[in-house]
Amino acid sequence: MEFLTGFAAWLGASPITALVTSHGWIVPAIQVVHILAIAAVVIGAALINLRALGLAEQGRSLRVVLDAWLPVLYSAVGILAFTGFLLIASEPDRALFRTIFWVKLGLIVAALLVTRAHGLAARDTGDQSSVAVTRTPLHTLLAVASLLLWVGVIYAGRWIAYADGWPGAPS
Amino acid sequence: MSLQDFANTLADTWLATELTDSTWLFGTVESFHVVALTLVFGSIALVDLRLLGLVQGSRPVNDLLRSVLPLTWAGFALAAITGTTLIFANPIGYSENFFFKGKLLLLLLAGLNVAVFHFWVQPRATSPEALAPRISGGISLVLWVTIVSFGRWIGFTI
Repeated sequence: MEFLTGFAAWLGASPITALVTSHGWIVPAIQVVHILAIAAVVIGAALINLRALGLAEQGRSLRVVLDAWLPVLYSAVGILAFTGFLLIASEPDRALFRTIFWVKLGLIVAALLVTRAHGLAARDTGDQSSVAVTRTPLHTLLAVASLLLWVGVIYAGRWIAYADGWPGAPS
Repeated sequence: MSLQDFANTLADTWLATELTDSTWLFGTVESFHVVALTLVFGSIALVDLRLLGLVQGSRPVNDLLRSVLPLTWAGFALAAITGTTLIFANPIGYSENFFFKGKLLLLLLAGLNVAVFHFWVQPRATSPEALAPRISGGISLVLWVTIVSFGRWIGFTI
């Protein structure tokens, strides 16, 4: 925790924190951008995974849906990382010292790995270029895991506001 | 019955007590509200950006609508249920909050925009250059970004 305490102290004294806390509207505005980027991930993940389950986009192949949405999803995750960093800078003593924040980061890494696996699996499976809904057990598993993981990320993210900090953490 | 009386009535319900006393219920309902609203916003923004000609230009609007509308309605139903539940946590506070009342009004306008799109714009959208769908998409996008912003601002002003 020593490293984190040092990092939080450094960040809190940096111009980034000074900037994002200089006006009351800046933090809610960053949160709005964060939510809009979450919406891009949610609609992308929903269309990819529901297509894999045969529940949406039935007229298009999984490959086409993945090609359309993976770049959007990855770009949105980039925006989320940037706005998320600014939100941490607005209150450096908050998120970093709560277990749920680290759980959220773990879930994001897992969700991204599953999404990546989905893209690779679709590329390796020749019949995925067909519009026929071919629900292989692998794609079904990846789709369900991905949807659950992204919902878990949102749940953990919202919970940062309510969880208690670690004992002895700066406040 | 005035709005204040109605708010007081809601504050006296079992659900209001549960939401206030429970350590996990409010945050859980709120999380599902976020899942729902991002599904609603994401699917509507996708259609709006298509109407503006900014994404998926080669795809017919009707084909896109067929694909995403079930997600929009499912998300909207969940957002309405979770949103209504959240009101019970602080009915008096919400009834006096500018951004809450503004959000409800904007939701009404967004609904009106959907009706205008469905009954007036869509039958006339015969050519890709038609102006009406672009205007409709632009209005919808501005309305929904404002709705999300007002929603977030409630948390900072209540």
